[in-house]
Amino acid sequence: MGSATLEERPDRVTVAANFPERTVLFGGLRRHGRLFGMGALILILCFLTLYPMVMLLYGSLHSTPPGIPGEFNLDGYAGLASAENLVVLANTVGISLVKTILSLALAILLAWIIARTDTPGRGVLEVLITLPFFIPPILTATAWAMLGNAQVGTINLVWRWLTGSESTLVDVYSYGGVIWHMMQYSTPFIFLFVVDAFRAMDPSLEESSRMSGATRWQTFWRITLALMLPVTTSAFILSFIRGMESFESAVFFGTPVGINVITTTIYNSITQRAQPDYQSATALGFAAMALMFLLLVLQGRLLRGRSFTTVTGKGYSPNVMRLGSMRWVTFAVCIAFFILTVALPIGQLLLSSFFRFFGFYEADMLTLDHYRSVWENSSFWRAFGNTMLLGVVGATVTMALGGIVAYITTRTRWRGRRLIDVLAWLPWMMPGMVLGIGFLWGFAILPHAIPIYGTLWALLLAYVALGTPVAVRVTSAAYQQIATDIEECSRVHGAGWWQTLGRILIALAWPAFAVGWVLIFFGIMRELSASILLYAPGTEVLSVVMLKMWVSGKPEEVSVIGLAMLVLVLVFRWVQLKFIKKRISTL
Amino acid sequence: MLRRSVLGMLAAGATVGPALAQGDDWAKVVEAARKEGKLVIYTASIGSPFHKTVINAFEQKYGIQVELLEARASEVRERVRVEQSAGRFLGDIHHNGSTTTWLMTRDGNFQPHGPIPNIKNIVPPYDADDIRVPAEVISYCLMVNRNLVKPADEPKSWKDILDPRWTGKILSDDYRALGGGAVLFVVMYDTFGKEFVEKLAAQKPVFSRDIQNSERRVARGEFPLYIPFSLQDYNNLKGLPVKPIVPIEGRPYVRFDLTVLKNAPRPNAARLFINHYLEPDSQIVFANAGYNPVVKGVVEKTVEEIRPLLATKALGTTVPERQDAMLELAKQIFK
Repeated sequence: MGSATLEERPDRVTVAANFPERTVLFGGLRRHGRLFGMGALILILCFLTLYPMVMLLYGSLHSTPPGIPGEFNLDGYAGLASAENLVVLANTVGISLVKTILSLALAILLAWIIARTDTPGRGVLEVLITLPFFIPPILTATAWAMLGNAQVGTINLVWRWLTGSESTLVDVYSYGGVIWHMMQYSTPFIFLFVVDAFRAMDPSLEESSRMSGATRWQTFWRITLALMLPVTTSAFILSFIRGMESFESAVFFGTPVGINVITTTIYNSITQRAQPDYQSATALGFAAMALMFLLLVLQGRLLRGRSFTTVTGKGYSPNVMRLGSMRWVTFAVCIAFFILTVALPIGQLLLSSFFRFFGFYEADMLTLDHYRSVWENSSFWRAFGNTMLLGVVGATVTMALGGIVAYITTRTRWRGRRLIDVLAWLPWMMPGMVLGIGFLWGFAILPHAIPIYGTLWALLLAYVALGTPVAVRVTSAAYQQIATDIEECSRVHGAGWWQTLGRILIALAWPAFAVGWVLIFFGIMRELSASILLYAPGTEVLSVVMLKMWVSGKPEEVSVIGLAMLVLVLVFRWVQLKFIKKRISTL
Repeated sequence: MLRRSVLGMLAAGATVGPALAQGDDWAKVVEAARKEGKLVIYTASIGSPFHKTVINAFEQKYGIQVELLEARASEVRERVRVEQSAGRFLGDIHHNGSTTTWLMTRDGNFQPHGPIPNIKNIVPPYDADDIRVPAEVISYCLMVNRNLVKPADEPKSWKDILDPRWTGKILSDDYRALGGGAVLFVVMYDTFGKEFVEKLAAQKPVFSRDIQNSERRVARGEFPLYIPFSLQDYNNLKGLPVKPIVPIEGRPYVRFDLTVLKNAPRPNAARLFINHYLEPDSQIVFANAGYNPVVKGVVEKTVEEIRPLLATKALGTTVPERQDAMLELAKQIFK
């Protein structure tokens, strides 16, 4: 599989053999080039991630935000040690842990069904079950508020009609509601992470296990899942951290019943007081970051010294398990997931978009006004253009940066690789609404000759920084599955560093690149915390326009945009999977 | 402290920018504004179509292009603060709630606006000073679901919401956070005393901070009663089974202010815009939308449907100096 992409370069080998002094010269240049490259990479990452963090650290240690006279103290951190904050911390960790465990289990099951079984229609199912991830959370929250409220929620009304009981079947305004809403995002997110790793699995390892007498379950547990450890732990940690930073689910379904988490507490500190308390908010952000850092250390220990290679120089063809009649059970599992997480909420959104008011389905309220209004809204089109530009450029740049960082951290022993790994991780560990302030502070105080503040550059740089952790995790998990012998083979045949990166590693890991690109692209489309603080007149993005529509009481128009985003997702995913199918014919 | 800041800025205002000195002919201001050609407004009024109507009229009348930066109150404040600290003076006009405007005035983020002809038309209890000019007023009342509340059962007084029939059935904006809920809490406390708010806590109101969604929840029948209802939101709910009610005691309110940002690059356009905003033609746009106008002779011309609601007594508003203490008190009472 790998050798097909190699190119023979005998001239280089010959030259190296005949002119050793030139090799030394080139070797020196290469070493200097590497040093220069690493230095440049560290500088770029420092500017993108460390710089806003330093601004925030200043904010957490200073009684006033940058630019206002004050004093350095530890009041922000001292204020964290309260019973109230302990409850907030317990809520945050508990909710995120439960939702991540449930999502991981569900995502692995779904990924296995899609990638490794002969379940009917799994090509279409793969696209459908990832849809919830791409819908703005506020829209699905609204849909679920209508479906699952205790008083007049559709589910409870149907339940009462069916059973004649007065009881309530579901109440989304609860811990369960918060977790369920978060799961709708984390399950497809983890699924996207693991499904390609399942595909990249060499079945000979599993076959060896079976031939050695292991049962199907033992093989799944000891071989399949064990080999997936880098991907699953990465996905688990990314998802767990995202859960701790999640805002919409908690504010929508938790706050009304007194469930507070770190992000809602930070939000209160910044926006709900007469005098915004940035010191407390940033200190809380750093406390959360310390907790998340511990998780990363744990993951590092878990994976240290173990090999997870499944893609080697030997050719293989990923097989699928013939399930017989059981394939209809796995089909039913996928359909149930699709109905619960996609058909119900999106159906509600689609239906509502044709009525004057969300949730009021009367014939005289049927209208196409919301579609017309969005179509004729010049702000929407301007924001759409800006977002597409930032999305395409941002996702491409981020994946390129992430691919390089991941290569250096997973495939080399270069000095400084751990530093760039940590730098690339930083943005993921700080809640978005705090990090947005760091970017604002950081970009505003740059010399005026550097035209970043108030331009599209500010948004682009923030998006690249926010997306880099995902890009690094997606690509490094894929790299870890590729054996070093293919790479060595390429180098022996005379390919340069860039050639090997592009023609071997990226070529083999490109499905992961494609997934990462889509994740980052739609992450940019949804990002609000930094966008609202960095946009300027003329550089509005879609999330800002959607916020304006929402706040001014137009949820139906927000639904129309959400549905348009879904169509875009379907197109992207269709193209992406079409290419995957072309490459892996057995699927 | 505040007085010192204001005096300091008055002194500064005399030396910064090309603003014309007081007493100059207004026509010269208009001419200078036209030459400036552009105006940048920072506003906490997000997505308001009424704001856009008034801005479009200004652009057409004077040929001055307006750029609008909309964000939430605290975000606008932080952007202004950071930009000014970094020596970036990009915005001309600031439009925000009176509490945030008061805090920013204290922090020295504005400059005196200078003479503006239409300020003389402002009516009590709203008043302008050298820095702040009232723009429009958000008035708060009750909102009931007409399918769930019979006309005979509708609350007539704020005290009626303490009736046991509403226990557990009131959806409310949070009193412990900046916003309409906090305004209601302060005004109820000041008007009826601590006992009233303690009894309100015993009614176990359900809090939600997503105002638009809360209003829809009441319209769908999840709750029969919502407080405090911003009168201008009624425009978005026409056709739904809801009804706004201004109790007999009157309506709590919160003012939005216009100010000129410190070192505004286009101070004459800023002054011209504030004057335009106070024109009866601009104020009627807001009044018909459910905002209380701040100048005389406008309420009388409002559409019939909204006029009786606007003509009610202004019961009270927040006091910025006490805001944090009142938020703390609300936290203790509504645990």
